[in-house]
Amino acid sequence: MSSLNYSLPEEPALPVRIWQILARKVGWLGLIATGIVVIAAVPLVFVIYSSGQLSLAGWQALWSERLPGLMWNTLSLAVLVAVGCFILGVSSAWLIARRHFMGRKLAIWLMILPLAIPTYVFAHIYTILFEEDGWIGRFWLSVFGDRIAIPDLYSIGGVTFILSIAGFSYVFLLVRAALEHSNPSLEEAARIQGLSPFAVFWRVNLPLLRPAIAAGLALVVLHVLSDFGAVSMLRYQTFTLSIYLQMNGRFDYQGAAGLSMVLVLLSFTFLIFERWSRSRQRYFASATQSRRVRLRKATMPEQLMIWLWLGLITTFAFALPMLWMIDWTLEAVREDVIDAAFWGYVSNSLIVAAAAATLAIIVAFPVAFFHARKQSTLSTSYIQLSSIGFVLPGPVIALGVLSFILAVLSPLYGGLAALLMALVVRFLPLAVQSQEAALQHLTPSIEQAGRILGAGPLENLRRVVLPMMSNGMIVAWVLVFIDALKELPATLILRPTGFDTLPVRIWIEASEESLELAAPAALMLVLGTLPALWLMMRKEKQSIINS
Amino acid sequence: MKKFWQSGLMGILLTVMLASAVTVQAEELVVYSGRKDKFIKPLIEKFTAQTGIKVVLHSAKSTALLNKLRIEGNRTVADLFISNDAGNLQIGSQLSLFQPISKEIIDVIPDNLKADDGSWVGLSARARVFVVNDKAKDIGFVKSVFDLADPRLKDRLAITHSSNGSFIAGVTVYQLSTNKDKVVDWLKGMKENAGSKLFSKHSKIVKAVASGKKDIGLVNHYYIYRHLAKNPDAPIRILLPDQGEAGMGVAWNVAGIAVSKHTKKKALAEKLIAYFVSKEGQELFAGANSEYPARVGVSAAKEVPAAGSYKVADVPMRALGVHRVETLDILDKVGMP
Repeated sequence: MSSLNYSLPEEPALPVRIWQILARKVGWLGLIATGIVVIAAVPLVFVIYSSGQLSLAGWQALWSERLPGLMWNTLSLAVLVAVGCFILGVSSAWLIARRHFMGRKLAIWLMILPLAIPTYVFAHIYTILFEEDGWIGRFWLSVFGDRIAIPDLYSIGGVTFILSIAGFSYVFLLVRAALEHSNPSLEEAARIQGLSPFAVFWRVNLPLLRPAIAAGLALVVLHVLSDFGAVSMLRYQTFTLSIYLQMNGRFDYQGAAGLSMVLVLLSFTFLIFERWSRSRQRYFASATQSRRVRLRKATMPEQLMIWLWLGLITTFAFALPMLWMIDWTLEAVREDVIDAAFWGYVSNSLIVAAAAATLAIIVAFPVAFFHARKQSTLSTSYIQLSSIGFVLPGPVIALGVLSFILAVLSPLYGGLAALLMALVVRFLPLAVQSQEAALQHLTPSIEQAGRILGAGPLENLRRVVLPMMSNGMIVAWVLVFIDALKELPATLILRPTGFDTLPVRIWIEASEESLELAAPAALMLVLGTLPALWLMMRKEKQSIINS
Repeated sequence: MKKFWQSGLMGILLTVMLASAVTVQAEELVVYSGRKDKFIKPLIEKFTAQTGIKVVLHSAKSTALLNKLRIEGNRTVADLFISNDAGNLQIGSQLSLFQPISKEIIDVIPDNLKADDGSWVGLSARARVFVVNDKAKDIGFVKSVFDLADPRLKDRLAITHSSNGSFIAGVTVYQLSTNKDKVVDWLKGMKENAGSKLFSKHSKIVKAVASGKKDIGLVNHYYIYRHLAKNPDAPIRILLPDQGEAGMGVAWNVAGIAVSKHTKKKALAEKLIAYFVSKEGQELFAGANSEYPARVGVSAAKEVPAAGSYKVADVPMRALGVHRVETLDILDKVGMP
């Protein structure tokens, strides 16, 4: 028996063989990318598996009772917020990119600072400000008296307001970048032909900006679809909130998974439509034509108008919430309630966000690099699959990751592993997309040059590829860091026992109406984001100068 | 670039170290708590001072914590679970997430405030009552919660939205004390009366009634005393609904505690429960939030109508869990906002 065994050629075990075949087909890079995408898809598998257990009657009940209302609520909110962000984002970007006025640099900052404030903080602060004894409520009563009721934030209008001021910065960032890169000669030609400035904007700028606007609005819509903070505070029933209630009020996992499934399909349809519409919109400007844009100086009345508009935006999107936070933080300092535990929450938050951002960019790299190399159907589908995190609500991702870790990696349970995995899965799309964008400058010839000069693949990676995309990497890190710092629903479920972060504390103190404790936490969150934003803005400026 | 990677690796290393630092030590209890921190922390601090047993409080929404317990199964680090709502405790029992508490410890708590099998025990109770503005006119006819549907209260009524746990628990009690059809009609009437303005918090209801914006509100009793403690001259009073011979009585709900099925520290966990139901612990509960101590013989704060001095609905607290989904279905059917 043993002699027979001896004479047979070594046959590797089946998993090893599959691995070898795969390695030959897609390469090592492809294999690593595959592994990462599989892990990123864990929550999706969880949703598909759980919704598969939903009975036909269960589906019918969802279909007839829940879905029409939820669909209408969610889609109408997405459209309204998109309109809101379009108006705020495009107008501010155009004014700042096309006019020279006093305090222009400050204005840029003011337009991106709202990114530092999470939606649940906006919602929490504005519900207080809009009360009869809140700042806005009192102002309203002194102007309108009892004739016109104070607007009710617990409505689609209120949620639209909150999500618009919280999200327009994405549109602003992308549209401004596009405007700074774009060629002014087209606008000048149109002006010479006698079009008014407004007509130039409408007929020349807007069509040219379509890709940037679409990308910005897509980001906004995805945030709306997955937002938990604002809709739960304002009790506006979107898919995300409804899924959460289904899980938590009724302990109905299958129903929640069924709803999640519909949401996933909805979001994917949207993503595919968005990619398709963008793919048909490409404008090229030849390099020889481009030159330095000399901004037109704004006249005095124009400056006044510009600052009126930007001031109005920033008042609501940043200044008022900030003043409120500072006011209550001072109160907390007076009452001396900020103790050692508070600084513990701060460091917990920073550690988790930094670790998640670092992990996310490491993990995103093979996926983005694989796509940059291959540009195949497989690599494109990997990019799309890695955006699961944007498409599923936070609580669902958390439960999916929790089930996975307990079933497969249970020795890791109890520490930060589950939380970090959920955060990485959730924000992987941000990291993948910014790295993908950065890798677009990497043409095969650059890599080949490195190889010809004698660098091995690893040295090439270290000395050619990574330095070329370092700016993209840093932007990716910052984006993930900011979002991970603000993340609430997954952190609430997955944080290790007794490990509280700033968002968790804000949520707890806000629900206990301890404003003097919620405010300093929110303020620290904003302050913690500032260095990251500064880093990102510096890199953005460099990339504009370089190109 | 090199620095960049180095700092990344350092970050991960730090994280792993931190993760191992939070692992639980022996003389330590982990409590998943759905109760407000400030009402439970004073008790826990006293307990730790007396026994030397450290308690880690892991706060979140009760329902989310139940989900967590359920998914974690025997991997959970939780030794105890605290909720503000008997419904959640009973649902936890039904999902067999808990284990019975030794009988002699919880004997001091009446039967209707704990689980049949002793798998959870109530600690402090609260009553669903009316808060009424002293100057409100034409309010004398309101004797029962069902009168809140009377058209005469149009735009004068303040209630919370229907995803509020106390609201749901109240509706369950009314549903079991009368019948579903009556409750459906009642909800429709209240929806009409409350108009579009529903309240997100009970404290805001009391504030609105005190300022005269609304005449009457349905709240948990302690919110009235919390408001009065800050504004002693507020023109509000408490009104106990559904009294008298034919009345169904006031709806109660309890906050309570349970021992996780998979804890390895049952004896330690029971020490905490024994402290919570002791005279001293119960007096602290009464003091922290003007609630009714669950233990017979410990009285509530002076200003609160004494337990036993009025009629309470004859619904055992476990029913709040058993019948919760029915209540949610009714609320959905009416489209209660």
